[in-house]
Amino acid sequence: MPDASSPLVQLDALTKTYREGDQERAVLQEVSLRLNRGDFSVLMGRSGAGKSTLLNLISGIDQPTSGRVRIGDTDLTGKSETERTRFRRSHVGFVFQSFNLISTLTVGENVRLPLELAGRAPRATKDRARAMLDRVGLADRADQFPDRLSGGEQQRVAVARALAHEPLLVLADEPTGNLDYDTGQAVLTLLSDLVVDTDTTLLVATHDPEVVPRADRVLHLHGGSLHEEVPEYITSGT
Amino acid sequence: MTLLHRSSRRYLTRHPWLMGLSVLGVAIGVAVVVAIDLANTSASRAFELSAETVTGAATHQVVGAGGALDDDVYRRLRAAGIRPSAPIVEGYGSLERGDRTFQVVGIDPLADAPFRPYLGTGAGSDLDLGTFMTDDAALMSAPTAEAIGLSSGDTLRVGIEGTTHPVVLSGLISPQNERTRRAVANLLVVDVSTAQQLFDQAGQLSRIDLLTPSAASAREAYLRRVRESLPDGAQLRRSDTRTETVAQMTKAFDLNLTALSLLALIVGAFLIYNTMTFSVVQRRALIGRLRALGVTRGEVFRLVLGEAAVLGVVGSGIGLLLGIVLASGLVQLLAQTINDLYFVVEVSELSVPAWTLTKGALLGVGTTLAAALPPAQEATAASVSTVLRRSTRESTLRRRAPGGAGFGLLVAAAGSLLLLVTEQSIWAGYGALFCLLVGAAFMIPWAVVGLSNGARPLLGRAAGVIGRMAARGVVTNLSRTGVAIAALTIAIASTVGVGVMIDSFRGTVTSWLEQSLQADVYVQPPSLVFRRSTATIDSTVARRLRNVAGVEGAYSVRRVTVRADVGRTDLVAVEPGPETADIYQLKAGTPETAWEAVRSGPSVLVSEPYSYRYDVGVGDTLRLQTDRGQQPFAVEGVYYDYGSDLGVALMSRSTYEQFYEDRGVSGLAFAAADTTSVDAL
Repeated sequence: MPDASSPLVQLDALTKTYREGDQERAVLQEVSLRLNRGDFSVLMGRSGAGKSTLLNLISGIDQPTSGRVRIGDTDLTGKSETERTRFRRSHVGFVFQSFNLISTLTVGENVRLPLELAGRAPRATKDRARAMLDRVGLADRADQFPDRLSGGEQQRVAVARALAHEPLLVLADEPTGNLDYDTGQAVLTLLSDLVVDTDTTLLVATHDPEVVPRADRVLHLHGGSLHEEVPEYITSGT
Repeated sequence: MTLLHRSSRRYLTRHPWLMGLSVLGVAIGVAVVVAIDLANTSASRAFELSAETVTGAATHQVVGAGGALDDDVYRRLRAAGIRPSAPIVEGYGSLERGDRTFQVVGIDPLADAPFRPYLGTGAGSDLDLGTFMTDDAALMSAPTAEAIGLSSGDTLRVGIEGTTHPVVLSGLISPQNERTRRAVANLLVVDVSTAQQLFDQAGQLSRIDLLTPSAASAREAYLRRVRESLPDGAQLRRSDTRTETVAQMTKAFDLNLTALSLLALIVGAFLIYNTMTFSVVQRRALIGRLRALGVTRGEVFRLVLGEAAVLGVVGSGIGLLLGIVLASGLVQLLAQTINDLYFVVEVSELSVPAWTLTKGALLGVGTTLAAALPPAQEATAASVSTVLRRSTRESTLRRRAPGGAGFGLLVAAAGSLLLLVTEQSIWAGYGALFCLLVGAAFMIPWAVVGLSNGARPLLGRAAGVIGRMAARGVVTNLSRTGVAIAALTIAIASTVGVGVMIDSFRGTVTSWLEQSLQADVYVQPPSLVFRRSTATIDSTVARRLRNVAGVEGAYSVRRVTVRADVGRTDLVAVEPGPETADIYQLKAGTPETAWEAVRSGPSVLVSEPYSYRYDVGVGDTLRLQTDRGQQPFAVEGVYYDYGSDLGVALMSRSTYEQFYEDRGVSGLAFAAADTTSVDAL
């Protein structure tokens, strides 16, 4: 486990380029960032600005063209694809815009999956999944398949799944993008409450300005560079 | 069961059609392979059993040059103290009752017991040897007699080469075990003199069985003594040579059947590949989600292969059952074909060896796994972010299409080269064919892209936006359409290829028949092996036929099986007439000099299949075993012949009579006089 005083996420001069035909396009250029344990950060930017790319690099799904990604004590850039995957299954939780629940598993099994992948005992996975579903108010839907649930319910299951295995870091990519306003707010409340309770670091990539007031830090991605904005409610002390 | 496996199982059960198609693909492939293998094995086993039954404990045999052996040789061996030894006259006959073909074996009951004790003719037997040896009497397996409703004392009507002979069933053989029961099921045992009479082989034997001492030095001395007692033309050989020869005869036939059955499995593999690819493409997003959650590439790979293994096991299981059912019908067709082309075999039961079933199951599961390997690899090779977007995969595939086509071209070129270099090997032929098919399959995606792009403006003009979309859709879903079109291409290519081959072969055979059948009337006794009729026309009948009014010319044909230095050889002796040179079209050699040589001395022509099979050509010398010992015959020409895939050697009747004692005639061709109509003749 990382030292509580050192940053949990440390990005140094991160660059990611893609080849398009004969040309190379830089999506991220020399991006550096520190996120502390328990931080709730929001990542803003226009479509195509590189928000999802940055989340993929932090989670180890993709490798940067140059630069370094460090989560806790682990330098992901030096790891093989399999090692990064194994790291992700134990220490990272995901919440996607389109929920991305596994359609062939029940709600309860979806929440149990990251626990099982992390190597927890079957009995423990069942208990933990039941507790998490209870926290998101869906304990009675554990045996149903995801297609029987509404969008808001599916995203609540996704939140329970992302936090079930007690990850160091939760990455949320447009978590309210497919939800109506009220449901989106309810999901955000649930997510922020859970990360506060578990002292988990949360990074939310979104267009939604409604997320900003809930965040400790607001990051803007523009032209491949990252800029931090100090929210008005923090400077004004409200 | 882990959650990943549970997810996988639910996916399969939620897509029953997809799963059913995959299982069907494996099942049909395995069923065809197993059915043909079982039918082949059953026919071989039936032949081996009948050969073993008749061979019994004999270690060696003495045989004649042209198939028959003077019975004086037997007397000579007995006088030299070669014992135990037993004379055998054998052939095939059909029983009117029960419509069955029997192997008729003529034995000497007084000398036979050490060789075939299970026939019950030795000391201690309750068989009336007096009746058996003096009357036309026969023994038959008790279960067979019961099955066709016969009992001891009944008269059998045995058909041999067109003549029906009455024989009394004087006793029944009671098999002591299952093996003997199956071995003697189609056996009719008669006294050697009765057999000589039935097969019109007075004074002749098919062979003499010998039992050598077991000690090596004694065996050598014994065999030396036997060789010293044998006249020219008679030959000593091991008993198992006969089974080996038969296996050699049907080797190419068996191989062709096996290769065709494997083609069914290859088509099945395409089906598996297609459905597995489809299932992976359909689950691309699901796999991406799993990968994002921390499922490794190896786990995804094993998951897809595990699904394929389940489909393979279920498909193979169904295929094995289907194969056994199919084989029980196929075995009779196969036996009929072997009877028509090679030798007589009566298959009364289907042998189901465990090895054939194991082989079929391994082949089914193995092919399924091999076919699922590329889709499984595809599912795991792309990075998670790419997996979440299918368009990337399609564009990658489009980019790789020209490279794939180049690789396909190389594989096809390697296949063509293989065909040119090793044109004699049937295995190399199938290898080359496989390379061509695989090469073509790799070229398909590139061709699809090119053709679709070419068709887009045309379809656009014909059907507007919908037409352009249709053409574009084929390319944008290349991962699915490419494989489906490749499978369809191969299926159509196989069908057209086989169709053209059959049509072309049929055309060639028709023109060959028109060329070859220039006489007006042909006479040949019925034979159990249709294409290799060695049956003999009764000499009085032959004489009478030659003198029928209206016959202007009569030419005889004698067909026998002899041994040559290259192997077992079907020898045809003809009386060359004025039109003979036109009938036999030479592929190699000059007609005038070749026929002159054949008419005048120890020279032969060989058929094209014979030349191909034994690598014999003009200028070579063929050494044939004759009644005058082994003699050299110059090969003067190679002629086209589609009558036998085993090939034949041809000599003139006068040369044949010079080297063989046999004066029999297997067939006669007559030319009608100008004043006589063919119908009247």
